[in-house]
Amino acid sequence: MRRIVITGMGAICALGHDAPSVWKAMTEGVSGIGPLTRFDASALRSGGIAAEIKQFDPSRYFDEARLAFLDPLSQYALVAAREAVEQSGISFDGERASRTAVLVGVGVAGEETREGLYKRLYEERATRFHPLGIVRIMTNAPASQISMAHGITGPTFAVASACASSNHAIAQAALMIRAGLVDAAVVGGAEASLTLGLMRAWESMRVLAPDTCRPFSAGRKGLVLGEGSAMFVIETLESAQARGATILCELAGTGMSADAGDIAAPSAVGAAAAMSMALRDAGLAPEAIGYVNAHGTGTVANDSTETRALHSVFGTHAKALAISSTKPMHGHALGAGGALELVGTIGALRDGIVPPTLHYLEPDPACDLDYVPNVAREKKIDAAISNSFAFGGLNAVVAVKRMG
Amino acid sequence: MSNVQQETFDIIAKQAKIELDTIKPESTLKDLGIASLDAIEVIFDIEEHFNINLPNEDTDFDGGTVGQLVEAIERQLALKTSE
Repeated sequence: MRRIVITGMGAICALGHDAPSVWKAMTEGVSGIGPLTRFDASALRSGGIAAEIKQFDPSRYFDEARLAFLDPLSQYALVAAREAVEQSGISFDGERASRTAVLVGVGVAGEETREGLYKRLYEERATRFHPLGIVRIMTNAPASQISMAHGITGPTFAVASACASSNHAIAQAALMIRAGLVDAAVVGGAEASLTLGLMRAWESMRVLAPDTCRPFSAGRKGLVLGEGSAMFVIETLESAQARGATILCELAGTGMSADAGDIAAPSAVGAAAAMSMALRDAGLAPEAIGYVNAHGTGTVANDSTETRALHSVFGTHAKALAISSTKPMHGHALGAGGALELVGTIGALRDGIVPPTLHYLEPDPACDLDYVPNVAREKKIDAAISNSFAFGGLNAVVAVKRMG
Repeated sequence: MSNVQQETFDIIAKQAKIELDTIKPESTLKDLGIASLDAIEVIFDIEEHFNINLPNEDTDFDGGTVGQLVEAIERQLALKTSE
């Protein structure tokens, strides 16, 4: 079987506009959560908080003509993809162009553009729309824009599974490489859906925390939304070695499952199935895993269910795992979630620092594992998994291993 | 039975497709087989019917009883009248 490695990583979220800044903030335990500034959120019952990207100036990255085509969704994806490609040093000349895939997990779509247009339609009774609405909104826009920006002509599309989109995209890319369809992929996730309409919709599901996000802690009240993108260059070990590329880590395996149960309530069985499959696929024993970047949304249901799933997969080793949710830092970035969290997981492997679970108050009896509360911890990590469990009962887990 | 209680029980019975007389003030929504998004929908129907907002604290689906839910509705209705 072809071994797959990660050679480039890029990220943008509330913690920073590039992967090193994001990772540094994770190790320092910085939270990007605060009051929403992009629109008047005072009427929101849920407190109007989110992990927004701040001080982002798109003109630093894109010229005016290009920018007209780009919803923030695509802007973030392009910024992250450019960083990942630059770091990997890969070029897409010759056959490489068609032997590379672009797969971007997106949970929603270009919501800022969509709501802007609908506001004009229903509120201002506009009879004319800006003509670039469709190409800005469409869910595949980030994947298409990345392929155009880098001249990549291989399989290119969006992968949608709500909060598991990124991890499903990574799994899809890995399978394409293993099948010999492509030798490399630019893969990750993007989301930009902090709009009044979407916030209202989340609020009405009663899952948004009014105070902050405190996964696995007693007193947790729900999730806090975030936004951004993280993108990776993955390729065969052979390709990376031939190029003399710096290898960040091995993408060892992936696991996917569906609960086939409730559309919203999580299932420990489904979550455990995806984790077990990722371990088997990676050829890793449960005892080999040192760190779990948990889905850890901060809802009562997710965190206790995920804990039960961890117990069932890891048995007695569960207590020895360092487990953390980085969502109190970058928020729940939905389709970008798994990709942003992989930045933290790779950081843990490479630097031997486990990012903490911020805002942790005190133990909840239903969450009885080591969640690395509040402060980062030094720990040598040889292998790790990153969990994503989505509404719709869709689960995807990525397993990574340190190289050398 | 107060009108608020009667109307609340009607909404729950309709949403959960259960007989009205199976609902007791001491039942929880969970006891009545109403979980996950179905419970969220019941609360939404109640909010729409009475034109009130029920805070998340008043909607404990696992431990909170229907009687407590009725009290929470009455509190919100009283607040509305006093405004």
